[in-house]
Amino acid sequence: MRSRAVLALWALLATMPAARAAGVEEPVRVVSMNLCADELVLRLADRAQVLAVTYLASDPRGSTVASAAAGVPVTRGLTEEVVALRPGLVIAGAFTTRTTVGMLRRVGAPVLELGVPADLDGVRAQIRQVAEALGHPERGEALVADLDAKLASVTPSTRPLRALVMRPNAFTVAPGGLGDALIRAAGLVNVAAEIGRDRFGQVPLEAAALADADLIVTDEGTPGMPSLADTLLHHPVFRALADQGRTVAIPNRFWTCPGPQVAEVVARLAAAANARAPRP
Amino acid sequence: MNAPVRAIADPISRRPDTPRVHRAVVAVLGVAVLALTFASVAIGYAPFDVPAAFADIVAGRTTLPAMVLWELRIPRALLGGLVGFSLGLTGAAMQGYLRNPLADPGVLGISSAAALGAVLVFYGGLSAGFSLALPLGGIAGAGVAALLLNALAARGTSTLGLILAGVALSSLAGALTALALNLSPNPYAALEIVFWLMGSLSDRSMDHVLLCLPLMVLGWGLMLSTGSALDALTLGEDTAASLGVNLVSVRLRLVTGAALAVGSGVAVSGAIGFVGLVVPHLMRPLVGARPGAVLLPSGLAGAVLVLAADIGVRLLATRPELKLGVVTALVGAPFLIVLLLRNRGGRA
Amino acid sequence: MSLALHEVRVTLGGRTILSDIHLTLERGRLIGLVGPNGAGKTSLLRVLAALVAPARGRVTLDGRALADLHRDERARRIAALFQGAGVGWPMTVREVVALGRLPHRHAFAGLSDADQAAVARAMARTDVGHLAGRTEPTLSSGERMRALLARALAVEAEWLLADEPVTALDPAHQLDAMAMLRAASRDGAGVVAVLHDLALAARFCDRIVVLSGGRLVADGQPEEALTDSLLARVFGVTAERGAAADGTRYILPWARSGATKEKSDGVIFPG
Repeated sequence: MRSRAVLALWALLATMPAARAAGVEEPVRVVSMNLCADELVLRLADRAQVLAVTYLASDPRGSTVASAAAGVPVTRGLTEEVVALRPGLVIAGAFTTRTTVGMLRRVGAPVLELGVPADLDGVRAQIRQVAEALGHPERGEALVADLDAKLASVTPSTRPLRALVMRPNAFTVAPGGLGDALIRAAGLVNVAAEIGRDRFGQVPLEAAALADADLIVTDEGTPGMPSLADTLLHHPVFRALADQGRTVAIPNRFWTCPGPQVAEVVARLAAAANARAPRP
Repeated sequence: MNAPVRAIADPISRRPDTPRVHRAVVAVLGVAVLALTFASVAIGYAPFDVPAAFADIVAGRTTLPAMVLWELRIPRALLGGLVGFSLGLTGAAMQGYLRNPLADPGVLGISSAAALGAVLVFYGGLSAGFSLALPLGGIAGAGVAALLLNALAARGTSTLGLILAGVALSSLAGALTALALNLSPNPYAALEIVFWLMGSLSDRSMDHVLLCLPLMVLGWGLMLSTGSALDALTLGEDTAASLGVNLVSVRLRLVTGAALAVGSGVAVSGAIGFVGLVVPHLMRPLVGARPGAVLLPSGLAGAVLVLAADIGVRLLATRPELKLGVVTALVGAPFLIVLLLRNRGGRA
Repeated sequence: MSLALHEVRVTLGGRTILSDIHLTLERGRLIGLVGPNGAGKTSLLRVLAALVAPARGRVTLDGRALADLHRDERARRIAALFQGAGVGWPMTVREVVALGRLPHRHAFAGLSDADQAAVARAMARTDVGHLAGRTEPTLSSGERMRALLARALAVEAEWLLADEPVTALDPAHQLDAMAMLRAASRDGAGVVAVLHDLALAARFCDRIVVLSGGRLVADGQPEEALTDSLLARVFGVTAERGAAADGTRYILPWARSGATKEKSDGVIFPG
């Protein structure tokens, strides 16, 4: 309690440039402000380097590093919270917490903004970028190697089956994004390319049913975590599709962020496709 | 001197025969509702052989097109008509009863209470993984609101008291909804509910129709039964009472009817705004201002508006599809403004 | 054939508004209910219309308690015309007048031929036939009063209760309205009107009932009821009396009692 009070006082008195000077010799200490950044930071950094992650990181529904995030301080992306931690580096997403990022830039805090990769090369590049920024480039290389090994172990679908991803609230994986790249890596055809019209395409159940997809990919949700998105899964038409063995569940969190878990998506898609008997 | 001041009497009224106009309007709107219902079944996202699917249903074959027709297209069309009728009718009844052209179906706080009920039941995890949890919660919320309002109405509260109670109920339910969302374990709850509340008929099933149909029909009956009482109330509560109107009974029927119709409507489709407010104003120039005469045409016109808007959101090239409440407001507001400009000077 | 109050006492919010009212009214006559502001005239009318239940005593219609009458029967037998409320929506005059037929109609049924005939009769009696298609907001005060009176007459009830029917009308329309009420009473109805204008009341009414402080203080033909001492005691005015050119007698409140002539300013009634 006392140490926290001292820290808070220090944070008020200290200026940000001084804090940055202090971080030069030791490993840089980071605050992550975006779930995807959380996942990479928790995989690549020493535990002592991580000052805080987002509150989303420890939510097993959305995060692939929920267990690693246990016990790590969290923020909700407010400027005050971040400044008080006196980070050597702030890692943020390109599209989230814009107000805080702008504020941090004005007080001279170093901010690394992560883009949204559109393919597997982009994933590899982002892993390396974050590892570099954390001062552990060798861990980045190891993680990329791990990802590539997993991808290499996947047997792509022997037939170009048609797959349609219905993510929560029926948001699908539109063509041109990372999700589309993962479907192609599994040897499948992304049906959303025929239906969806933009990056945030949402597929009505009717279109999904009539699109004649071989595989309909969903996130089955988590018990005890009710979401309106799940109501779709109980619709009679969806249940009929499921009864025909056309559905496969892949948790949404595997699609969300660039990281080694995307190999898991490719593996599950390919496995489901190969398990599905050829249609008469 | 005792003889009244005589003016040149005009034995033939300049207005057309009102009951005949009324019947014609109802007939035209009824045909429009039927036509739009069929159009709503025929128009969708994917090319689709409706007659073949219908033949499958009749023959009892559970093919995928048959399922899509029976569990997606038809429920969507039916719900559009049902929800629209409920909103239009309730709007007309509320405006007539409260003698206020600004009243809408949500004026008594029933919509907000239905939303609160839905949120509590759903995110409270009371029935996770059950597709009708949301509508049932909404209906429960509307029911609680109706009980509270009826307790007030039965005690002989004035009309103004009823409006104030509605405003209070609305605010309270809104605040409790926000609180429930804050405490929800799902970080996306607020986003989901905000979108849900804007109203949509996508991906509903026949279960939703069966759930709300009996409640709505009962609510419609209660509200339509107040037609002549609403006419009498245009002359004030005292005169209405002297004409044999049971004021307490009228209040109870209206509150209960509105709760049943709007509550189950919000429960299955979210809150589709503006229909209940604008539709009675569109009908008055056609059928006259008598509140009882506005009820049925407003219900039918509400069904027309919601069905047309729902066909519109499917034809428009926007993905995700526009929320119904957005479209009804976009279509309805200009109509209302034109009407008000044309009637400037008179009481609209 | 009478509407009667038996030892009626009315309290509103703990205040006694009327007490010890014993009154028997008969049909075929125009009865004026007069008294200073706050005397309880409108309350008495509301008791007669069964809108207010007396705290004590009984109201009877032809010997039967008014409270025991079914709502619809009471509505068919006692019509009431209240001022102030106006018309909530811009309905046509014909629609407004037709509201008077509500007590005679079955649920969801339209106007029958008999209803149409009654509406036409009422509109003819008040001379609003030419206004049938006009909407309420476009009417003048006089036209609106005639339309609302037609609505009350369309009930074709045995009793017509009218609350201040001539207030806010110009002299010609006041005379018209009083003549119409008297004509209704000549057709057999019992007409009870709350009036402020003592001259009009005396000129048209067959019987005057005077209320003061919630009590009945005088009752009789105009000349009997509105004596000089009563006018001074109850209204605080003195009156000029005389005979008009046509031979009818008139009573004209002229000055505040005890006031000098200079102070009289045309304000007839104490506030």
